[in-house]
Amino acid sequence: MIKKNSKKQQVWLVTSWEFMHFFKWKQEIISKLIIVAIGLIIMLWQYIKDDQLTVYKVAVPATMSQLQNSDSFDFIASNAPLKQLKKQLAQEDNWDAVLSETPSTNSVKQITLYSKDKQSWLGELKQTLNQQYTVQYASSLGLAEEQLNVLNQSSIFENKYLDESIKSDNSPAKATAIAMIVILAIGIFTSFGQLFVSVTGEKQQRVTEQLYACISAQTWIDGKILGQMLHSIKAMITIVITGMLGYAFVTVIIKGGIIDFSMIDWSLLPWLIPFALTGVYLCTAFMAAIAAAIDDPNHSAKTSIMLLPLVPMILAFITMDGPSGWALTFLSFFPLTSFVAMPVKMSLIDVPLWHSLLSLSLLVILCFWVRTAAARLFKMGMSMYGKEPSFKDMMRWVAKEK
Amino acid sequence: MELVVTHVQKNYANVAAIKNLSFNVSQGEIFALLGPNGAGKSSLVRMLTGFTQPDSGTITLTMDGNKYSSIPSHTLGYLPENRGLYPEKSLMKNLIYFAQLNGVDKKSAIEEAEYWLERFDILERKDDQLKTLSKGNQQKVQLITAVIHKPKWVILDEPFSGLDPVNQEKVVIFLSELRAKGMTVILSAHQMAMVEKLADRMLLMNLGETVLYGSLQEIQQKIDSSTHLTAQFSEELDSSKVSEILADTKHSLTNNKTLELSLTPLQSINELLQRLTSIGDLEAMHSKKMDLHQLYLNAIANHGAINND
Repeated sequence: MIKKNSKKQQVWLVTSWEFMHFFKWKQEIISKLIIVAIGLIIMLWQYIKDDQLTVYKVAVPATMSQLQNSDSFDFIASNAPLKQLKKQLAQEDNWDAVLSETPSTNSVKQITLYSKDKQSWLGELKQTLNQQYTVQYASSLGLAEEQLNVLNQSSIFENKYLDESIKSDNSPAKATAIAMIVILAIGIFTSFGQLFVSVTGEKQQRVTEQLYACISAQTWIDGKILGQMLHSIKAMITIVITGMLGYAFVTVIIKGGIIDFSMIDWSLLPWLIPFALTGVYLCTAFMAAIAAAIDDPNHSAKTSIMLLPLVPMILAFITMDGPSGWALTFLSFFPLTSFVAMPVKMSLIDVPLWHSLLSLSLLVILCFWVRTAAARLFKMGMSMYGKEPSFKDMMRWVAKEK
Repeated sequence: MELVVTHVQKNYANVAAIKNLSFNVSQGEIFALLGPNGAGKSSLVRMLTGFTQPDSGTITLTMDGNKYSSIPSHTLGYLPENRGLYPEKSLMKNLIYFAQLNGVDKKSAIEEAEYWLERFDILERKDDQLKTLSKGNQQKVQLITAVIHKPKWVILDEPFSGLDPVNQEKVVIFLSELRAKGMTVILSAHQMAMVEKLADRMLLMNLGETVLYGSLQEIQQKIDSSTHLTAQFSEELDSSKVSEILADTKHSLTNNKTLELSLTPLQSINELLQRLTSIGDLEAMHSKKMDLHQLYLNAIANHGAINND
């Protein structure tokens, strides 16, 4: 019944307690149901749209009879006076819109569009009319379709770099990396904030001494970091799914297109994921170290450090325009910034395998050191009850545990 | 199984919290740490639990053929001075979590938690949030947390604080049960009446030093060599006459008919008796020993006076 617990078991107990402490079933179920509902709407939209496909009837004067019908609009020429057409539009269901043309002295058409009220398809109608009149005008000028296309797009630019490691501008990798940084920021700040609340909260509630009698400082810190890591991963997965659904919603429902995820460079993911997870771990462990040394969060100057994880992200954004430059190269190896900088660099240029491996290894070593430092600082906090250590005290304890 | 503390010293900054302290605790006994606030009890407890280490001297625990420099966490049940649990969680969740951290499987943890909650009359509140309980009931949950995993060593820092007299008595019974189950209990407390009932031996500290050490009987014999007498008279006494006749004897008139007296070993009872009969009509006389409360107050006062000199 009672046995000496292994460290792993204790870490897992603290991890699951930490995770469940911030996991609210009701909120989670509601938010996931909303996501599922959006997904279902997108899936069903195509069928709904096909069933409800509408062709709008547009009354046009005889002078505009050359307009050609499209999938969405039937242009019906009428000799009835405009006043009568407007009355039919207002009182009967004969028309969805009425067009009238005002004589103009120049070649630009002056068209007035009448409708009962604001409708989402009016924009599409204007676009259709514009296209048809552009072709008509080009034809009146004796321009061939090819000439018209040249007028619309007179030049095509393509960049060529002498540095062959730089990927093509058309590569979707940059978009993937930027998206990854945003997702990473969400993950990091989720665990960063929660861990701060959790550690200082337990110290305020005076649970720490009771815990320290059962488990080591390292076990406590490890459990807390891992518990918050799980929250980060959950937050990142949620934001990815939400982002994809949002994109799908806009593409399918609003634009009427088809879902295309070709902008994601899937080949980068095996690198982006370990860098992201290690980065989240590093930042969470860093927060654990700071929070462990805070006695009263309401009166501690150390809380200003909360925004520190933004620094590597900002630096990566600033330097990403020069992917082969010394700045991004340095940042991609420096372990405090590499978790953001290396994925950015990898998305922009081809990086030798050993660069990525070395960067990741240095990052892992730093993570291990920071987690150890966090436990030492927690012990220091226990021995300095009621008195908050200075940064100098903290450095001394981190360098050599008393 | 024995815990031996030898010449332990602990300083915080330039303040000596513990000065050359030595004592031992044997298996199965209730050992009390006594002393005023700031005497160094909590500093000592934190060294025994391994939270901090002594600057000099040694703490040696011999258990199951092994030697340890503090009480190992898996054999320790601890009620800290700075205590608290998770106020947003239920009683059961708190108890099960700490039991599991100490190696108890979930099923047994539930059984043990329900047993102790029942014993402390709060079983019906088991699913309530801890913060909804009164301070006294929260203290009970904290006590259960310390023993739910059946540790060999139990250290309780102020187990009676926040409890009403009825619940203090329950804790006395609870601690006696722990001793009966073979657990060794080290407790610090200010409730001398409770300690007197419970403790097999005790260490009275002041300013980080040992003031008294041993069983209550040993301490009484060592410190209280005086004889305390109560003399009852049938008539009201003249206080000026009493003061005149008993000028060389420590005495106090508790009411007009009763005198409390302390005799030094050199004073003769017969001679005192003659003087008492000259004061008035002596009806009865009986002797008594100092209780722990009086011993504590005297010892601390004397130690303070010595240190001030």
